[in-house]
Amino acid sequence: MPSPVSPRQAALQALLRVLRDGTSLSDALPPLLARVSPRDRGLAQALCYGTLRWHRRLEAILACWLERPLKRRDRDVACALAMGLFELLYLDTPDYAAVQETAGLGRGLGKRWAVGLINGVLRRAQREGRARAEEVDRDPALRHALPDWLYRRLAAAYGDGTEAVCQALNAHPPMTLRVNTARIPLADYRDRLAEAGLAAAPHAQVETALVLERPVEVSALPGFAEGLCSVQDAAAQLAAPLLDCPPGARVLDACAAPGGKTLHLLDRAGGDLALTALDSSGKRLERVAENLQRGGHRAALVTADAARPDTWHQGPPFDRILLDAPCSATGVIRRHPDIKHLRREGDIPALARTQGELLRALWPLQSFPIQR
Amino acid sequence: MALLDILQFPDPRLRHQAEPVPVVDDAIRRLVDDMFETMYASEGIGLAAVQVNVHKQVVVMDVAGEGSEERSGQGLHPRCFINPEILEHEGLVETDEGCLSVPGFYEPVRRAERIRVRALDRDGRPFELETGGLLAVCIQHEVDHLNGRLFVDHLSNLKRDRIRKRLEKQQRQGSGHPTARGRQREAV
Repeated sequence: MPSPVSPRQAALQALLRVLRDGTSLSDALPPLLARVSPRDRGLAQALCYGTLRWHRRLEAILACWLERPLKRRDRDVACALAMGLFELLYLDTPDYAAVQETAGLGRGLGKRWAVGLINGVLRRAQREGRARAEEVDRDPALRHALPDWLYRRLAAAYGDGTEAVCQALNAHPPMTLRVNTARIPLADYRDRLAEAGLAAAPHAQVETALVLERPVEVSALPGFAEGLCSVQDAAAQLAAPLLDCPPGARVLDACAAPGGKTLHLLDRAGGDLALTALDSSGKRLERVAENLQRGGHRAALVTADAARPDTWHQGPPFDRILLDAPCSATGVIRRHPDIKHLRREGDIPALARTQGELLRALWPLQSFPIQR
Repeated sequence: MALLDILQFPDPRLRHQAEPVPVVDDAIRRLVDDMFETMYASEGIGLAAVQVNVHKQVVVMDVAGEGSEERSGQGLHPRCFINPEILEHEGLVETDEGCLSVPGFYEPVRRAERIRVRALDRDGRPFELETGGLLAVCIQHEVDHLNGRLFVDHLSNLKRDRIRKRLEKQQRQGSGHPTARGRQREAV
């Protein structure tokens, strides 16, 4: 069977799911990507992530070439334009191919008029794009393609460091591994990677972390299925050592899914913990179960609302509680650029309220004094 | 590794019944590897041995699985089914199908929505898979090939004849393979 969709068609559909319907990219993209020809999946992915990452900047550049803004029902055409401009400015596709292929999307949308429009605007972008981008980039929020409210808050919080923070938010995330150092020394696992043809460097601050030179499928990682390593950002690898569970401790992981930190806690203790992994979503808890199985560990999995311990907790208090509470996720924008569009300023106080409720609800479950 | 030629409808060799593979040996593995290379080069997601004029029950497929993160440079999920057998099927779903042996044509075809399939992998180990979605459709499409059936057989005589005549004309004019870029795909 031939692949039923072209990479640009799949990317456009995924962008619409995010920008029009408010779906997260991690929900929207996989089913679409499965339909793309295998060797074009990288392109479809690059188009989605890149267009979302730079969307506000792209829209600002495009605005001056449209006589009037596109109608609401033509969001698909607007998305195609942004995606085409991203490809022109950021990818090394030959310009004529990017223009022609993007314009052709108009036909698939059933909007023949859009073919000419996309063609015209993108040809203009070819000639005037760089100059126009320089004008747009004078506004720092547009330069970093961040919503105004977020840029304002970042600037207030980081001052002179704002520029560096924004650049980091738009950088490509590295693929970082956590080596299960209870089972294999970091250096030995690095050798295993090298044997598999994968170059990796230790992380400057996190002693369990190896940063891969190039991202790969997890199936290519030696011993992944047996729990020798996990995919986990370096910062996330700091939680388990901070909690520093003594052997046999009663531990609560209160917002456990997908279970990266749950697995880390158990890996560190060689599995010797009485651990309860709680999450409000039973479906997401399945991911925790998969992670536990990979590591060969056991834990009590509970689907419940962490803020209502009366509905799920009885017995003695916990020696340790990890509360990885729901957050704005603005710190992981580089990995999930769709957050730039899905997050609203009003979410911040709402999330802070939820975090406060969780903290107050779980605090009484912590045993004192804390045993070392 | 080598690129193989893909037979085109209405070539009568597409109607041959494929034989089961008695032993998965190096020759079969070489065939599997060549079929993958051919499938990837043709922007395919599935290919049956019959399509490359080898009348054995071998199918290769790549329908991506989980994993949406911006990490997989290639994102390959190769799967190989030797002597595939559909054990159970349920539900009904209609999707637009095309075929590397019927280039340029896409028509709606009804298939079972979920299936359970048994087959041997590239190392000759038996496995079972229960699946739905595009993967289930693709497996049914490729298993059809092993039985000498094409997706056009699920269409009306009128449609099938029209496709046959157009392809015969193209083949006479020697422009057998329309480029992948020019072909009509599903509407967004």
